[in-house]
Amino acid sequence: MNVVFAVKQYISKMIEDSGPGMKVLLMDKETTGIVSMVYTQSEILQKEVYLFERIDSQNREIMKHLKAICFLRPTKENVDYLIQELRRPKYSIYFISEMISFESTTTHMSVSDLSNVISKSDVKSLAEADEQEVVAEVQEFYGDYIAVNPHLFSLNILGCCQGRNWDPAQLSRTTQGLTALLLSLKKCPMIRYQLSSEAAKRLGECVKQVITKEYELFEFRRTEVPPLLLILDRCDDAITPLLNQWTYQAMVHELLGINNNRIDLSRVPGISKDLREVVLSAENDEFYANNMYLNFAEIGSNIKNLMEDFQRKKPKEQQKLESIADMKAFVENYPQFKKMSGTVSKHVTVVGELSRLVSERNLLEVSEVEQELACQNDHSSALQNVKRLLQNPRVTEFDAARLVMLYALHYERHSSNSLPGLMMDLRNKGVSEKYRKLVSAVVEYGGKRVRGSDLFSPKDAVAITKQFLKGLKGVENVYTQHQPFLHETLDHLIKGKLKENLYPYLGPSTLRDR
Amino acid sequence: MASLDDPGEVREGFLCPLCLKDLQSFYQLQSHYEEEHSGEDRDVKGQIKSLVQKAKKAKNRLLKREGDDRAESGTQGYESFSYGGVDPYMWEPQELGAVRSHLSDFKKHRAARIDHYVVEVNKLIIRLEKLTAFDRTNTESAKIRAIEKSVVPWVNDQDVPFCPDCGNKFNIRNRRHHCRLCGSIMCKKCMELISLPLANKLTSASKDSLSTHTSPSQSPNSIHGSRRGSISSMSSVSSVLDEKDDDRIRCCTHCKDTLLKREQQIDEKEHTPDIVKLYEKLRLCMEKVDQKAPEYIRMAASLNAGETTYSLEHASDLRVEVQKVYELIDALSKKILTLGLNQDPPPHPNTLRLQRMIRYSATLFVQEKLLGLMSLPTKEQFEELKKKRKQEMERKRILERQAALEAQRRLEERRSDLASRAANGEVVSLRGGPAPLRKAEGWLPLSGSQGQGEDSDPLLQQIHNITSFIRQAKAAGRTDEVRTLQENLRQLQDEYDQQQTEKAIELSRKQAEEEDLQREQLQMLREREWEREREQFQAASLHTRTRSLDFREIRSFHLEPGREPRTHFAHVLDLGSSPAQSSAAPKSPSPSSALEPISVWSGPQALGQEFFPQSTMSQQNEVPSLNLFDEEDLSSPTAEGTTSPLAAEPSFGPSAHILKEYNPFEEEEAVGNPFTNPDSPAPNPFEEEDEHPYQRPSSPPVPGNPFEEATCTNPFEMDSDSGPESEEPIEEELLLQQIDNIKAYIFDAKQCGRLDEVEVLTENLRELKRTLAKQKGGTD
Repeated sequence: MNVVFAVKQYISKMIEDSGPGMKVLLMDKETTGIVSMVYTQSEILQKEVYLFERIDSQNREIMKHLKAICFLRPTKENVDYLIQELRRPKYSIYFISEMISFESTTTHMSVSDLSNVISKSDVKSLAEADEQEVVAEVQEFYGDYIAVNPHLFSLNILGCCQGRNWDPAQLSRTTQGLTALLLSLKKCPMIRYQLSSEAAKRLGECVKQVITKEYELFEFRRTEVPPLLLILDRCDDAITPLLNQWTYQAMVHELLGINNNRIDLSRVPGISKDLREVVLSAENDEFYANNMYLNFAEIGSNIKNLMEDFQRKKPKEQQKLESIADMKAFVENYPQFKKMSGTVSKHVTVVGELSRLVSERNLLEVSEVEQELACQNDHSSALQNVKRLLQNPRVTEFDAARLVMLYALHYERHSSNSLPGLMMDLRNKGVSEKYRKLVSAVVEYGGKRVRGSDLFSPKDAVAITKQFLKGLKGVENVYTQHQPFLHETLDHLIKGKLKENLYPYLGPSTLRDR
Repeated sequence: MASLDDPGEVREGFLCPLCLKDLQSFYQLQSHYEEEHSGEDRDVKGQIKSLVQKAKKAKNRLLKREGDDRAESGTQGYESFSYGGVDPYMWEPQELGAVRSHLSDFKKHRAARIDHYVVEVNKLIIRLEKLTAFDRTNTESAKIRAIEKSVVPWVNDQDVPFCPDCGNKFNIRNRRHHCRLCGSIMCKKCMELISLPLANKLTSASKDSLSTHTSPSQSPNSIHGSRRGSISSMSSVSSVLDEKDDDRIRCCTHCKDTLLKREQQIDEKEHTPDIVKLYEKLRLCMEKVDQKAPEYIRMAASLNAGETTYSLEHASDLRVEVQKVYELIDALSKKILTLGLNQDPPPHPNTLRLQRMIRYSATLFVQEKLLGLMSLPTKEQFEELKKKRKQEMERKRILERQAALEAQRRLEERRSDLASRAANGEVVSLRGGPAPLRKAEGWLPLSGSQGQGEDSDPLLQQIHNITSFIRQAKAAGRTDEVRTLQENLRQLQDEYDQQQTEKAIELSRKQAEEEDLQREQLQMLREREWEREREQFQAASLHTRTRSLDFREIRSFHLEPGREPRTHFAHVLDLGSSPAQSSAAPKSPSPSSALEPISVWSGPQALGQEFFPQSTMSQQNEVPSLNLFDEEDLSSPTAEGTTSPLAAEPSFGPSAHILKEYNPFEEEEAVGNPFTNPDSPAPNPFEEEDEHPYQRPSSPPVPGNPFEEATCTNPFEMDSDSGPESEEPIEEELLLQQIDNIKAYIFDAKQCGRLDEVEVLTENLRELKRTLAKQKGGTD
């Protein structure tokens, strides 16, 4: 169940199918992202792919000596582009790899466009455009998602819901993404969803509909324990995303932002030109792979080791190359050295910027209060701390708003709730309307009314004892006390204790035995 | 050892748990185990490992090995990546995800379409052929029109009030034009023309492909034709008025389009761009490298380890070959890079990008593969390496021997009856130079057995030797030889029993007899040996006997050549080699003296090399002082002693020879290393190579040194020429050579990252230099 590997396999299959010879990869905007997440340029060069083109780029030259591998999502535009392309082929032979898509006809979908469907009619129009018989293969591959880590994928959708309901286009895109995931991993799962979320149910239904419709595709070897697709809605736990995180990848994502493994460092003061945008990919950056889930302090020491390691190797450059052996050793180490120097400067810059932001935004103190808000039940102390931080000029308006949001979520129904006072403080601090509106929005989104259960007070005896013991032992790390609700959910799921009344199966129970 | 002749006693010591063979030391046990039982059950192996681990040294050793293993697996790259504790490769194996092909559907639709398209094109071409089948220039225009109309029915003018393509109304000014190929009507603006050459090309190509009938000869029409002046019809007046249609055919855009596509197809079929040709060559080269490089690396690794599985010449040939291919790759990719750069107009930026990318990937390829291409040892180095490996094995044997020695001592204590003659008898039987075997089988005994064997029985020693031969043979993969050797070993073990009794008899007799009698005995023994030629140990025992006798004996020994010159010579040969190995041995034949070389050899690995200069030096210092062997006697056999490979390097004659004949190490290094071009120490090999292709460094090492600067840097060349006869220069030269060698070791150690070794070696080097300086001072 490695999504990175799954996509990689698809792409290498695609390329290998086309045989030897110079190749060009024709992609659209989304598939460019998909490919770049799993392959580096030099890796793909080794497969004789020398050019990367966008299907919508107009300035493409006719190069009949190249084979074209079209890796496209089957959108209407892409099909049109492809038809144009085939009428006047620029390359000798075409291998068309459509990404997945299925017709989904839920009530929502009936009104939505059918552009994402590689329908029979699309195939027909493509075929009719191919007057010169340049197409060698038309295939559907199901790598229609962005593989971030082996166990994490994204569809890069911002804002999939309107209110509490799906944006129809995004629902269909999400359905495609999820079904693609299942197909690429060859899983035909049972589906469970979060009862409190209508959206989760809707998505589950869409996925199930596709599975039913394309049952031929989903005919996989059955495993003893059938795979399970659990669809959760973020509103189940609105707390976790409001907290500052302290592991490497999470920090980079939180503070700098990661977009398809790329990190924009252009705002970093005094940044050198070639470090304006860096790529952090666990696939080819060993340091990152080994440290992405470590916490900030550990990274600090690891980066020191990396530096020292580098320094040890570095003298070779400055050292006079006295003997032949020196020179030889240098030359042999040179590419490695260069790579290492790139790695070192990259991580040093990123970590340096992180620690600058941490101190500039007073994040340690903020995080401490955040954790207190998330994990402890001392209202007066929490209120006091929030108030204190709101007075601190170094705390950004974003962090301030987040603190108040956390307070609002936790003490939503507390008897001495003083949210209005805090809101006043926010206004006095000069926090913009945009952020202040978020406070009420988040309560509406993830408050008690929505969740139906309480995130903060433990529900069963075991949990209570656990928390009690935790209180006795004290906390090892004040910044990482909070454990995401997902942890508990998955734990229950693994132990078979996930309650069916909260996370029901989709469809009749007979389906479960499939 | 006792276990063999006394099976009744309780066995102890290093018994193999599987075959209960006593192996004297755990090293032997371990190697025995690895050799004999490696294929057998794992858990037994685990048992013996845990058993062996009890010994501290063994423990270290094993730990080290495990570390190595881990390091190896660590180099496997991507596989060993761990995602911060999450290792996706521990997950269940993952196959390619689902795939669905629409090709059959696609083909079905396309086939229908293509049929239609092909019919269309063929129709047009057939018409075109008809239109061009007659001599247009010399035909009246009315006639042409008639022919044109007969080819395709023209659409009625009245049916088309507007141009179907642009929508403009037809009138007097905007007249109708007919497509000669499909008969449709368009305005002048939308009209296209097909020139005759194009028409010819299209028709002849289709004719070629169909090869139905020979095309009517289409001589290039002269443009000067008679003007057609007759106005026959109002509707098409304009066409005649302002156009001469001698060399072109009117048609609509659609027909022209179709025909142009057809033309393109024809062109593509015939034309292969340069870049494709070059690229194909490039790929061929890359494939070749992929084939050859692993083979070479295997060879080079083996050679660099001092193994003799592959021949050095073959490997260097292969290296040159591979490097030539690299060069070709480089040249080809460079050519691709510069394709069309000087053209006007310059190529499309995408073409340039493609060329750059191909070059880049070729560079990556070369970078990755070439740097993995390790250099070969030079001939001289190779000799060194071979020796080094031998020494290493020796060292191992010495360690084993040490352990064996102790075990034996314990046994000896028990054997009280034999203890009495230990003072001379044991020593007598010591020198187990297995020379005849060595010659016969071609396996090198580990010289440690010679230097070390003071206390051990020659037979046992021989057994050890044979086991080591077996190991060597196994390493070389000669299984048949292994078999014979193993048989040999068994025989020896049987012989051991006999020998024990024999020795006892011999001893008692010896005690009774005078020295003269001893000599006779010796003679007798020797004769018996010749009878049993297959059991070669006798020569050894005889030989050691002569050694152990005091110097008077040796003198008398020298008298013997008259009687038995041949055998004697063999012994002298052995004599020559053994003191070269264990410097202390000739001076003091007591068992304790044997510890001296041990102390040298049991040091860290690098000390194995250190031993060389010391032993050779001490040999030179001590040999004259002995003044029992006159110098000629000693040096001449060593000079000839190339049969004894151990003597080859430290001996004076051959070494001087080698120096003269082969490039010394330093310049060899320059040859072997493609990047260390002294002229341009550019850090990036790929910038450098523009000026200096790989060919130069890869030129094979020639005895006549082609690198002048290298000869200058090497001062000892002159020395070696000047005086190999006089003793002092020789010694100096030897030292220099040794220094050279040590430099080579340092280089090697550095390369392999054995820093501790480097340290030891540098110290050694300094010491050698000091000695050299001292010696120089002495001669001056």
